[in-house]
Amino acid sequence: MQKAKILIVDDDPDLRRALKLRLRANHYDTVHAADGYSAMAMAQKEHPNLIILDLGLPAGDGFVVLERLQNSDALSSIPVIVLTARDPQGNEQRTLAAGATAFFQKPADNSELLEVIRASLEHQQFQAAPS
Amino acid sequence: MSDHNKHVLLIEDNPGDADLVRLRLVEGDSAVNVSCVNRLSDGLASLAESLPSVVLLDLNLPDSRGAETFRKVLERAPNVPVVILSGQDDEALAIKAVHQGVQDYLVKGDITSKHLERAMRYAVERQALLHSLEISRKQQLEFKNQFLSHVSHELRTPLTCIHQFVTLIADGLAGPVSPDQRDHLSTILKSVNQLHAMIRDLLEATRAEAGKIRVERRCISLGDLTRLAVAMMQAMAEEKRIGLEIGLDSRIPFVYADPDRILEVLLNLIDNAIKFTPPEGSVIVKASLVEADPAFAYISVADTGRGIGPEAVPLIFERLYQDPDAVDNNRSGLGLGLYIAKEIVNLHGGRIWVASQPGHGANFSFTLPLYCLSNLLAPVIVHQGKLRADFVLVRVDLTPLAKPPRGNWRETCQRSLEILQRCVYVDKDLVLPAMGTSGPAETFFVVASTDMDRVNIMMARIREQLEAYPELRASGTLRVTAEPVQFPSREGQAVEKLVEGVADQVTEMAMLTLGCKQSFTGKDTNNAN
Repeated sequence: MQKAKILIVDDDPDLRRALKLRLRANHYDTVHAADGYSAMAMAQKEHPNLIILDLGLPAGDGFVVLERLQNSDALSSIPVIVLTARDPQGNEQRTLAAGATAFFQKPADNSELLEVIRASLEHQQFQAAPS
Repeated sequence: MSDHNKHVLLIEDNPGDADLVRLRLVEGDSAVNVSCVNRLSDGLASLAESLPSVVLLDLNLPDSRGAETFRKVLERAPNVPVVILSGQDDEALAIKAVHQGVQDYLVKGDITSKHLERAMRYAVERQALLHSLEISRKQQLEFKNQFLSHVSHELRTPLTCIHQFVTLIADGLAGPVSPDQRDHLSTILKSVNQLHAMIRDLLEATRAEAGKIRVERRCISLGDLTRLAVAMMQAMAEEKRIGLEIGLDSRIPFVYADPDRILEVLLNLIDNAIKFTPPEGSVIVKASLVEADPAFAYISVADTGRGIGPEAVPLIFERLYQDPDAVDNNRSGLGLGLYIAKEIVNLHGGRIWVASQPGHGANFSFTLPLYCLSNLLAPVIVHQGKLRADFVLVRVDLTPLAKPPRGNWRETCQRSLEILQRCVYVDKDLVLPAMGTSGPAETFFVVASTDMDRVNIMMARIREQLEAYPELRASGTLRVTAEPVQFPSREGQAVEKLVEGVADQVTEMAMLTLGCKQSFTGKDTNNAN
């Protein structure tokens, strides 16, 4: 069975590594990007099943990435989970309005995050099934 | 006075005094522009139009006397310097006025042009100084808030890193962990969570100070919210061998409040109570109605700890207040929790206070406004002094297609509620405010003054309008149902009582639908069927 592939976008290398270890332990494949520009490049190249996106990023912040993803026919259906140190007040509504699936503030509860990842991937398969 | 275009507003009703002051003004500076009015209302109107350099104010005018006069002027034009023209007999009042923001006073009869010129010049300069102090205070506050917000954000990133790697090790993802190691790791995690809570409180207090806390009020079951808070804190209480109990009035009220914010207040009060109560003690959370104050629900958290000294009672809700001899004084937090609780309760229009006798525990109480449907219902269900004939409760369920909902589901629900409001007759139907704790599925209710046969027209209109809303179509499903509102009898009842009866019945039906455990009339719905 093919593992789901998750793109982790975060400019902090330690946080990327921690998330990678956590997700791989839960049988997901991961690919990584450290800034907004390479996030888009990775999304186009790898076509991940899900994206975990930080907001404060160099070379195009999380909102720019969200907007580009939404405007791309090929990528707009990928669920995006925002994981950020920024405050939910103001940012949560804004990211959801920009097309994100869920908003988590760091540090996020691991089991909640994994549950939302699982549910988002399930939804995606459900949508892909008829084609 | 050397400044050009100096404009003086003279508010004085005695023509002799007015002429004298005008004369003295012109003697001092021939270029001064004086406008004179003899009533306070005219003076206030003039201030609304343009601001003079100085106001010269007599306190006793035909339409206002004494302290009232200068308060109104200061309120209308807080940045314009005011000099009072007092008589010999009201000099004491003039001095009081100076304490309350007036710049100076002159005693009539003693006024020379030199006096007047100097008083006005100093008044203008002092006022300008005050104004610049106020601006710089605001700038400092803004800078402090930005700084705190930035620091909190920056602290979160390394904290997240610690959290992530500690949980990786604790979950055995980096190799086997011995029981001792697991124990140490859980101590680290506890500290990480404390730090996280402090950062959150710091941000929240900053927001409270800047007036930026948002509350989203709904009609919620206080009983359910209290039970949830107690359930969430039970483990912490058990760990410290403290009994955590709940005592709810048989008639548990619905309140109009933000469920997330009030849960925050409850958790904070219970957390404090547990923290300051020794093992084997108890904490009781109560919610009740008080006859003397029928518009509010009373919630209290009482503990058997060592209580609060009388000197601390007035300070305890202040920012950064910390009990100097706290039991847990190594981990007493930032002293922001009660301050935040007070701000949240105040934003709801409630009060918060503490009663305590040292050695006999503390009792923290707060009030929340009750959800009063009858006030909203009365204008729509009463027509020409009589209750309308029939009522139907229309229920509109919006369920997100995906879990978690995709896109901005909450905003979609909010927009849907606005659309719903346009589907009813405002003079005889009422769309109820959002009810229940917010979950992914949202349910709205309409009380319609009609019968089951005719309600279909309204339901069709609601379906048609909501189905035409693209965001809802893309992200959720819609269900519209209706149920008649039945109430016992209208024989010999005053119309106010009838309205209350309908309101109770509607609230009961709506809350049952939403799965609230405790109903409005005190019947436990778990036993209802």
